[in-house]
Amino acid sequence: MKPRFLVLTILAFIFLFPATDLIGQDKKQDKKLNYGNTIDVQVPYGRFQKADKNFFDDLQPFTGAGREKVPPTDLTEVRIGLLGPLEGSVLSPQGIQMLQGATLAMEEANEKGGYRGIPYKIFPHNDVGLWGAAANEVVKMNDEKVWAFIGTIDDINTHVALRVALKLELPMVNTGDPDPTLTETRIPWMIRCIADDRQSSYALVNYIYHVKKHSRIAVLRANNRYGRVGIMEFRDAALRYGYPLVLEIRYNDGETSFTTQIERMIKSSPDAVVLWGNAKETALILLQLRKMGMKQPVYGCDRLMSPVFLEIAGEEAEGVITTCQYNPTLDMPNLVAFNKNYEKRFGYEPDVFAAHAYDGMNIIIDAIDLAGLNRALMRDVMTDLKTLQGYQGITGEIIFDASWNDIGVIWMTEVRNGKFEFFPPPPFEQENLTGSIAAKKP
Amino acid sequence: MKKVITKISLRITILAIVILAGSFLGFKLVKKPLTSEEYPKTDQRISDKYSQGSLEESSNREGITKDTKPMPLYGNWQTFTKKNGLPADKAYCVRIDGDRVLVGTSAGLAVYENDKWRTYTVEDGLAHPGVLSIDVSELTGDVWIGTLGGLNRWSAGRFETFNQFNSGLANDVIYTVICDGKDVWVATGGGAGSYDTYTGQWGIYTERNAPMHEPWTYGVCAGGGKIFIAAWGGGVIEYTTKTQLFRDYIDPDGEMEIDLFTDDGVIHDITTGVTYADDILWVATYFGLSRYDGTRWKGYLDHDTGLISNFINFLKANGPVVWLCTDMGLCSFDGETWVTYQKKENSMEGKILITNGDDTKEIASSTSIAHEFVIGVDTQDDVIWISTSKGVSRGELLK
Repeated sequence: MKPRFLVLTILAFIFLFPATDLIGQDKKQDKKLNYGNTIDVQVPYGRFQKADKNFFDDLQPFTGAGREKVPPTDLTEVRIGLLGPLEGSVLSPQGIQMLQGATLAMEEANEKGGYRGIPYKIFPHNDVGLWGAAANEVVKMNDEKVWAFIGTIDDINTHVALRVALKLELPMVNTGDPDPTLTETRIPWMIRCIADDRQSSYALVNYIYHVKKHSRIAVLRANNRYGRVGIMEFRDAALRYGYPLVLEIRYNDGETSFTTQIERMIKSSPDAVVLWGNAKETALILLQLRKMGMKQPVYGCDRLMSPVFLEIAGEEAEGVITTCQYNPTLDMPNLVAFNKNYEKRFGYEPDVFAAHAYDGMNIIIDAIDLAGLNRALMRDVMTDLKTLQGYQGITGEIIFDASWNDIGVIWMTEVRNGKFEFFPPPPFEQENLTGSIAAKKP
Repeated sequence: MKKVITKISLRITILAIVILAGSFLGFKLVKKPLTSEEYPKTDQRISDKYSQGSLEESSNREGITKDTKPMPLYGNWQTFTKKNGLPADKAYCVRIDGDRVLVGTSAGLAVYENDKWRTYTVEDGLAHPGVLSIDVSELTGDVWIGTLGGLNRWSAGRFETFNQFNSGLANDVIYTVICDGKDVWVATGGGAGSYDTYTGQWGIYTERNAPMHEPWTYGVCAGGGKIFIAAWGGGVIEYTTKTQLFRDYIDPDGEMEIDLFTDDGVIHDITTGVTYADDILWVATYFGLSRYDGTRWKGYLDHDTGLISNFINFLKANGPVVWLCTDMGLCSFDGETWVTYQKKENSMEGKILITNGDDTKEIASSTSIAHEFVIGVDTQDDVIWISTSKGVSRGELLK
């Protein structure tokens, strides 16, 4: 019996050990989250090739000097910068909201005694002006001895500011630019507390192709960096689901007639339309495409979710579906208080830029409280993915990934009875090729 | 019967052992390559692999020349900080100019001459105290200084300022300035620029007239009748001075979060610096190093080469050797051998890591670079100067 027992034992080892090892590996793989909350079927080149290097699996440390610097003892105010489109830009209404949201957070902090009795003070800077103004303005903020800054909304200005922030080693919190590439620069001096267009695109693509079962999408987008980079993730995600866009055309900011573009859209026979741009132009496009006979459902980016869009589009706005980086109607005590206090302080409702700037300023204030007045130490607590991870802001729970991008929950909205109604995006479909690419496969 | 069963059992046992061994070996062989997550951290890998040595042993170069091609090896580091006369500890750049050394700091331009430091600030005519880049014209000896607030020409003891208001500069934040004959080239946050010192004419190069995605530029170098521009988010822009034509080199995979194939082109579109020597273009990124010989690209990442860190602040080639300023020390590389200079924690001593293929050797050094966050480098003859996050250091070629 002994030899048989030995044989059986060895055979059991042969079969059990590799199997358990593999099971273990599978479990490990299940736990791994792809960069940017990307589902497996959406990983770039994932169907064909494993990348030589995934850049955002690990945190980029800051190994420079500065942590040893002693805080000044003669301060009369703690200065925080704000860079935004405050005047002279089509984005100025949003810039003003951003400034007001940050101001409210600062005023509330000062009511509680500021930083160890020293009041906070905001130093606003306009990012609109001479070419590359954002770079010059960040230098000015540094000369003013700010401890950190919030900024900005426009993609180009934010990138330019970020580059200078690295040189100056100045902590930066972005609260208004959803450009996915902004945090893909490995600069360990910035966090972003607003969901980016990658998250918006994934939610929209899933909703459009899987929930609504559309297959032929035409895109009309702004001919600027916001439109180009914003739609990039949408286009890629649609393609990876198996639905290449049937058309992607552009318009320039400030245009009022979109006949040429709409005629081309009609010829492409889409079963739905996606608009990616600012509220004013997209509302005008909506009116004109309905006038020209296009009755297809319309989807759009978060910038459509604006009173300006509702006002211009009127009844035609009904049924338009967009994404939004937060839900202002949630019954959270901190959000309810913010909405009430903001309206009382500034006379009108806050928008998405005000809400995120409020959270961004509070994050800076918390970082100062925790680390003291030392830029490098403030940076450390802002970026360690521990201290402020899961921050409970008025915009919801903020979850940072290893590139310090906010990959927390985003929302979707639909215009119903002249109002934006919010709903959570349906769970992502891991479904494989479903569209035209799959249909062509043998 | 019992004997037969025992024999059969024995054979089965032996067979099973063979299968077990075979499957174990096979499993090892077919095991997937490590992912970047599974890779041990750089320090851990290095300490696992390094053999120990001393600088004295290595300074005769025997140990190095046996295993590697002769790479210049520097030591006898001397460090200068605010305590020694620098206007600030944070030094962005360094440029050797004959018998003197020019250092750009966060609080002015520092000049080291005859064993003494002298500082020039805004009061002297500097455009801004933050000096990011310095070059010296071989034709005139003029010093060109890129600051956070404009460009300076320092000539005959006088500072002349160029900015967006009085010149064709695209932006006042000058990340890099270089002299190429009579032309001065700058990389700024608002585009690249050229200034013809003979005619006084400016050229501005942005996404409107060059194949850049955006106007953000960060580095510029000259070589082989060409100007190379490190365009932030746009890879490398090549400008042929004779034909005045542009072309671009971008990461072929088109994705920011991955590098699909290391050798298919520039590692990443976020480029931070370029340098050209010996017909080789070297490109720095925060994602690794790229080398281009005019035909083929080769990429270097920290997880499978001797590159100490993918985060490269600046680089400069001198003949076949490229000097890399990383956030984990100063690195040099000649295409085969990596040499890294680091500072031992809480110590004035340093260490040198020499990697050739899979072999790495650590050599102790009684002196070290000022700080491992290295931002600038320049070499001339037997001397090297580096600027760091906390002071500047001077090293000597070990013979």
